[in-house]
Amino acid sequence: MPFDEFTIEQLAGDMLPNATMNQRLATGFNRNHRINTEGGAIAEEWRVETVIDRVETTSAVWLGLTMGCGRCHDHKYDPITQKEFYQFCSFFNNVPETGGGQEAPVNHPPIMKAPTVSQQAGIALLDNKQIQLEAQKNALLAADAPSAAQWIASMEGKVHAPAQDGLLARYSLSNAPKLLAGNAAPPRVVGAVGVDRGRINTAAVTDGRAFIDLGDTGRFDTHDSFSYGAWVNPNGGTGVPLSRMDSGAAYRGWDLYINNCKVSVHLISTWPTDALKVTTKAAIQSGQWSHVFVTYDGSAKPEGVHIYINGVYSPAEAEVNTLKGSIRTNVSAKVGTRTGSDGFTGKVEGAELYSRALNNSEVLQLSNGDPARLLLAIPAANRTQDQNAKLAEIWSERNDPEYKKCKGALDGVSKDRSTLDGQVVTAMVMEEMPKPRDCYVLIRGQYDKHGDLVSAGLPAAFPPLPAGTPINRLGLARWIASADNPLTARVAVNRFWEKFFGTGIVATSEDFGTRADFPSHPELLDWLATEFVRLKWDMKAIQKEIVLSATYRQSSKATPELISEDPSNRLLARGPRYRLPAEEIRDQALAVSGLLVEKIGGPSVRPYQPDGIWDETNVYGNLRNYKHDVGESLYRRSIYTIWKRTAAPPTMTLFDVPGRETCRVRRTRTDTPLQALVLLNETTFVEAARVLAQRVLTQGGSTPEARVTYAFRSVLARKPTPAEMRILISGLNRRIAAYRVNPAAAEKLVAIGDFPREPGVSAPDLAAYTMTASVLLNMDETINKE
Amino acid sequence: MKSDGVLQLQDAINRRTFLTTACRFGMTAVAGLLTDTGYSAVTNDGALTPLPGRPGMPHFPPKAKNVIYLFQSGAPSQMELFDYKPKLAEVRGQDLPASIRNGQRLTGMTSGQAHFPVAPSIFSFKQYGKGGIWLSELLPHISTIADEMCVIKSMNTEAINHDPAITFFQTGNQISGRPSCGSWVAYGLGTENRDLPAYVVLTSKGTGRPDDQPLYDRLWGAGFLPTQYQGVKFRNQGDPVLFLSNPPGVDRDIRREMLDEVGELNRLERTVAGDPEIDTRISQYELAFRMQASVPDLTDVSKEPSSVLEMYGPDVHRPGTYAANCLLARRLVERGVRFVQLFHMGWDHHGNLPKAIQGQCKDTDQPTTALVNDLKQRGLLDETLVVWGGEFGRTVYSQGGLTAADYGRDHHPRCFSIWMTGAGIKRGMSIGETDDYCYNIVKDPVSVHDLNATILKLLGVDHKRLTYRYQGRDYRLTDVYGDPVSQILA
Repeated sequence: MPFDEFTIEQLAGDMLPNATMNQRLATGFNRNHRINTEGGAIAEEWRVETVIDRVETTSAVWLGLTMGCGRCHDHKYDPITQKEFYQFCSFFNNVPETGGGQEAPVNHPPIMKAPTVSQQAGIALLDNKQIQLEAQKNALLAADAPSAAQWIASMEGKVHAPAQDGLLARYSLSNAPKLLAGNAAPPRVVGAVGVDRGRINTAAVTDGRAFIDLGDTGRFDTHDSFSYGAWVNPNGGTGVPLSRMDSGAAYRGWDLYINNCKVSVHLISTWPTDALKVTTKAAIQSGQWSHVFVTYDGSAKPEGVHIYINGVYSPAEAEVNTLKGSIRTNVSAKVGTRTGSDGFTGKVEGAELYSRALNNSEVLQLSNGDPARLLLAIPAANRTQDQNAKLAEIWSERNDPEYKKCKGALDGVSKDRSTLDGQVVTAMVMEEMPKPRDCYVLIRGQYDKHGDLVSAGLPAAFPPLPAGTPINRLGLARWIASADNPLTARVAVNRFWEKFFGTGIVATSEDFGTRADFPSHPELLDWLATEFVRLKWDMKAIQKEIVLSATYRQSSKATPELISEDPSNRLLARGPRYRLPAEEIRDQALAVSGLLVEKIGGPSVRPYQPDGIWDETNVYGNLRNYKHDVGESLYRRSIYTIWKRTAAPPTMTLFDVPGRETCRVRRTRTDTPLQALVLLNETTFVEAARVLAQRVLTQGGSTPEARVTYAFRSVLARKPTPAEMRILISGLNRRIAAYRVNPAAAEKLVAIGDFPREPGVSAPDLAAYTMTASVLLNMDETINKE
Repeated sequence: MKSDGVLQLQDAINRRTFLTTACRFGMTAVAGLLTDTGYSAVTNDGALTPLPGRPGMPHFPPKAKNVIYLFQSGAPSQMELFDYKPKLAEVRGQDLPASIRNGQRLTGMTSGQAHFPVAPSIFSFKQYGKGGIWLSELLPHISTIADEMCVIKSMNTEAINHDPAITFFQTGNQISGRPSCGSWVAYGLGTENRDLPAYVVLTSKGTGRPDDQPLYDRLWGAGFLPTQYQGVKFRNQGDPVLFLSNPPGVDRDIRREMLDEVGELNRLERTVAGDPEIDTRISQYELAFRMQASVPDLTDVSKEPSSVLEMYGPDVHRPGTYAANCLLARRLVERGVRFVQLFHMGWDHHGNLPKAIQGQCKDTDQPTTALVNDLKQRGLLDETLVVWGGEFGRTVYSQGGLTAADYGRDHHPRCFSIWMTGAGIKRGMSIGETDDYCYNIVKDPVSVHDLNATILKLLGVDHKRLTYRYQGRDYRLTDVYGDPVSQILA
């Protein structure tokens, strides 16, 4: 993809007409800022930091400008006023974000679903299937319609609604419960109540914390007769699916209590001195539906409490029999908990309460879980179209095997779609609010000190946006990516040059302002910049120009004269020679040993890290108790390593990878003993040496000379000189002798790293060659590009 | 067509003038980067030579050769430890008057409170030493060295939360990105022992609040200074320096021979490629080899006299505790490490303060005293600057409910206490006063910049003249502020 197109998509892909998923995904670039989840953090303050981060990053990366200086005052050196800084901020100020953050590894809005290619295919397949099956289902229903109607008509008047006398309330339970019948308050969800299929229809799913508040219904007292119950499906053995009970007031009230899957009823005035507790001898099953119903005759005696399981009276024992006082309480009735304790984990369906004690046959009727029953009991004249349609579906389900099969398949597709949907990751992206946010000059850069209101615009020092360009982020992106922009191409080609030569033509590749370094070869820079545009921003083509140039192809050998004339090779009288960046040092070791897995994309991976590396200074966060991955994830390119801003992988930081809290365009390049320790002792490099040694011993020939040559060529892409060969052979022989005398030490060395041992290779030999390979990986020539 | 000015500029940058005029023409320190590695000038002699700092440093004769900064992370409550306020008993439970609070911003953690009841400390205070220094019963050991202490009760900062506040202490700016104080010192002054880093960091968790505020690598980072000046954090488990130990199966002899091999090959390369950087790399590998011996030698405390170990208390035997780190700090400065910084976490007592702070003092009281005495006994105290303190203070009003035995305190930037001892510090005195509510400073305020300027001055550095050019600006640790606190300088 050409650089200009890339630029536009990174900065404003979401604003392109008919933006594709990939174009929107590209804008995630501008969401890679810090997110502050600290207690007491001020959301607006951080939103402002985020906007400013975008400006600083965009200006450094594309324009080579230190615009951030304009945050608090006019730029001291470059022609950018503070007002112009905030005008530039305005382009990035209109994202529907709050600046607040959740202390959890979640993506913060705006986000989008980002299915992989194979997931997209899967979704399309399921969607098609669903359309097909829906059509089939509707056809079957249509064909069945006359028979179904006949059945419905035939049942007219034959089905009676379950007991209506004394019904206080009957509920349909779910995450949006409703009152179906009775004169009670509408039920209210408190907390994260879920929904699932019930025994008959829908059920509420409670987790022990969330519950449904039924209000003031069920206001029973000790000498009232009453009944209550529901379908329950416990998940685990203990909890209260239905109650009106005040745990904080010595448990005054009544409840239904699942007690290790046995059913208990409590009627309490003061626990335990003034209370009644009755428990069934039989148990219900966890994970299965049971109709549990209680009737009570107002006698305050255990015999007056009847517990029914699935419509059948279940013999019970009295555990506590001291009830005398009033059980009336003012707390509300609840599904899923007592008031203050004993939350129920599981599903509850169809709770109902009566102001009289039902008889056996009435309870049996209630427990008859026939979904059609309630609907058929409604007279035909009163039934709605939806209710008739439901009845027709029930008929087809029971009598039409083809329909049943089709419906089953449809449910399956729905479930699969839902599962697949749950696997699709989200990504943070840019969006533009319909009405741009007001943007102010911030006095001394402080988030809440508003100066003048400004509108989006470019600093006057730059050529203006072409007439007719919308003054928004897309317009800005197009202006940056334009052939007429004086900076973009120069800054870009300078960075490419820096990548190949170690230092840019302008050494301060992040700053092309007045305090920056002058280009060492201004005409060259001009030419490269215009050439890049002429080549239609083709990054590969321009980089090919650079690497095929005579300048680049010079030898990097330096004579003392060259060094004294031009120590840092600014005049390019020789080819470049400099230490490789951190990622390339690690990737190279993996590549030359054969370990590197060249898979592209996918989730971040966890390579080797020292034990407990981040636990000493980190209290929160998801990199504690770090465990490295197994298998090929260990050997992916370093660019895929998981990264925590405040605790970076040490191998990377030791080789000068900057912290990632804010954008750093140019790295330093240092040479420290800590780096030596990494290359000598870190698991990745020791394992790579061993694996290279394994290859050498199995594929590198049969003599030490052949093997050393094979290893040398793998790492350095040339043959060793006779002097080098002498040094390496001498070291190798010494070590072979030493390890043959101490095979235990050899075993320890070759056991390092998860990659399997090569069978049939002796440990002492492998250990000796491992150390030779380690020598090669530590040579200056290996970790320098020359 | 190029203007005259441009031609002049270009001319000035031609190769003949490049090196000599680097500073005058606003170059970055690129030249410095290339030849300076921060660890040594190029020698292969294997001798322990010191690493020099910037030319012209120190600016004047230093009082301190080393610094041990005992950073108490989380912010210790000054009312519980150093700043005795008997009059608070009279207003216990009353709301903090608006006239005292005077517009001080509240954090999101207490701004929702309806009341701000004054919470006097439940701990008692006495005066100690010739200077009559007030210290609470929580510091029985430190009380015995009152004659060495210089307490500053008038520290103040603008930061109100931990990260910006610690970053401010460390780098002179609340927003991260700048070099830490230890890095500045390493850059400016170099170090006395090439085999160990110039700036070493040791962390420990507090028993008073083990789940307390985290720390970040960038607090001891080098910012825009070359990375070799960054603080090296010694770990609390495993190798103190990462990757220090040879892999199993590679002993010191095999390692030595292998390094000889690498060295020989690199020397051949040197003659072919001609790059002087190769010499540096050879010497860095030699240094790494020496560190493999010098660091275990540093951390092996088994030969310390038992009388010394007992001074520090039983925790000294457990690596990763504050006590163990204090002993290591002494050993580090003995070996010439320039800047040693301990971070003891766990002081952030928003709730459960009386109990939690006892735990923290138990961690730190005895070992801190032992460290000072240990340095003194070895004649090191007069050359070592010791600083003890956190990133801000705590509120006089209770966060959450105030009961007879329990209260919490929120963050308070306007006044807090630290103390110093050692090289160049006037001992047995305190400066700075706060009002009766321990809320505002009434005398001799000391800013974070002032403190950093003072530390640098004691090291022989003029804080205004230790600078580094970055993004076209000459940065320094104290930004554009700060004056050394002359009252406390001996």
